[in-house]
Amino acid sequence: MSVTETKSLSSRDAIVSMFETFRLELDEHNDRRERLIKSSRDVTNLSKKNDHAKTLKAASLAKERLQDIQKLFAGFKGELVRDNFWRYQRNVSPGLQEYIEALSFTHYLETGKLITYTEVQQSLCDNEAIPFFPLSLEDYLLGLSDLTGELMRYAISAISQRGGRSKASEVCSFVRNCKADFESMTPYFRELRKKQNVTSQSLEKIEDAAYALAVRSSEYDLPPEILDDLVQRAIINTTSGDGKRKRDREDEFEDDYNNS
Amino acid sequence: MDPENMQLITRMLEQDSELREKIKDQVTEFDKKTRTMSGLLNKIHSTPSAELPPLLDSVRPILESCGETTAAIAALVPPNQFWRWKEMWSNSLRSAVFAATLMEYLQKGTLMTLGQVSDVLGIKPEWSDRFVLTVEDYLHGLITLVNELSRLAVNSVTLGNFEEPLRISVFVKDLFAGFAMLNLKNDTLRRRYDSLKYDIKKIEEVVYDVSLRKLAPSVRDKKDAS
Repeated sequence: MSVTETKSLSSRDAIVSMFETFRLELDEHNDRRERLIKSSRDVTNLSKKNDHAKTLKAASLAKERLQDIQKLFAGFKGELVRDNFWRYQRNVSPGLQEYIEALSFTHYLETGKLITYTEVQQSLCDNEAIPFFPLSLEDYLLGLSDLTGELMRYAISAISQRGGRSKASEVCSFVRNCKADFESMTPYFRELRKKQNVTSQSLEKIEDAAYALAVRSSEYDLPPEILDDLVQRAIINTTSGDGKRKRDREDEFEDDYNNS
Repeated sequence: MDPENMQLITRMLEQDSELREKIKDQVTEFDKKTRTMSGLLNKIHSTPSAELPPLLDSVRPILESCGETTAAIAALVPPNQFWRWKEMWSNSLRSAVFAATLMEYLQKGTLMTLGQVSDVLGIKPEWSDRFVLTVEDYLHGLITLVNELSRLAVNSVTLGNFEEPLRISVFVKDLFAGFAMLNLKNDTLRRRYDSLKYDIKKIEEVVYDVSLRKLAPSVRDKKDAS
């Protein structure tokens, strides 16, 4: 046994001087944590702006913003040396998950696919492919789980645009697959179980919109413009809250239509 | 999700949960040891000081055997993943710090340093990315020590030892002077630090009762003597 300090402390001075070193260490830790929390917030703010990127054209702008975020993450590298990532994961995660959501959304618009773990990790590497920090599965999966909500909004807004209906049905089956894939991983992450519920709700909203669409278009032989209007009405209902109210409003809508 | 990605994730999840199970087994062992020590050390409240050495001798082998557990955990933790897993054994480690520092105090009346506790628990410097005694864990152990000493101050009087509260009072105040230097954030350490004030108050009340009745030399006499 290597004994570095053989004598235990018997005076106040000795105790105070040991605590002096603790103070330095704790202060350094707290400062670093605060810097990381701030950077994580910056990442969140930049990522949120990407939420408005609903079209492919906007996606290229989003791409630049993602690069700005990646630069921010590059700054984390010095703070998260050795296994410090795991020490500060809780402080870094919120921004990181927002970033993964924005990145996966852009990736979906471009490729129609779910971004892989490896692709996300690669986006967080320097020019020599050295990761800024290890990507945790939890952050990856929770970031993707947020994507489904974003896709729901995307599908709903696309559905009422010309040619958007087939896009909405693509998104619908994509989100359905996501939900199924995530399900097998929920035993490992409590947070993911919670987010699965949100994903289910998002999926249901898209399904309801698709249902409204299918019912109306089969029932009436309507020109596409009128169909679009109907869809828009139906969507306002499906996205406006709980099921009961939604159905009531749909009945109302039915009456409106029959009276006209 | 493409199958390759799915496979990768499943494999990672399986590896992690396998490792978690293995660490958990060791932590259970660690926990058994620290609980046995706490159980034995609880007897200090009913043991006259003359009979303390054999009691401490009975605890010492268990304390020393903690080295096997820390070594087993250090061998399991992958390089650079200390902070990822440390929550699993933090509580056991803090209890071990408590046991070690309490024994040192009872034996010598002094404070075991962080380095000394690390040594007693067999923690090697080369494990620094897999298993270390952090400042936070050490401080948590010390707070538990103070909690225990405030009880001991009361119970030693019951046992007829009127000087122990005075020794405890000086020791705890020295420790508190150290704690008071730290800028603690709003976390568990902070909340537990705040509780130290009540322990000190309790110890002071015991000292007051003892001094008032002249059962022991007053604090001032004590200071002059030391």
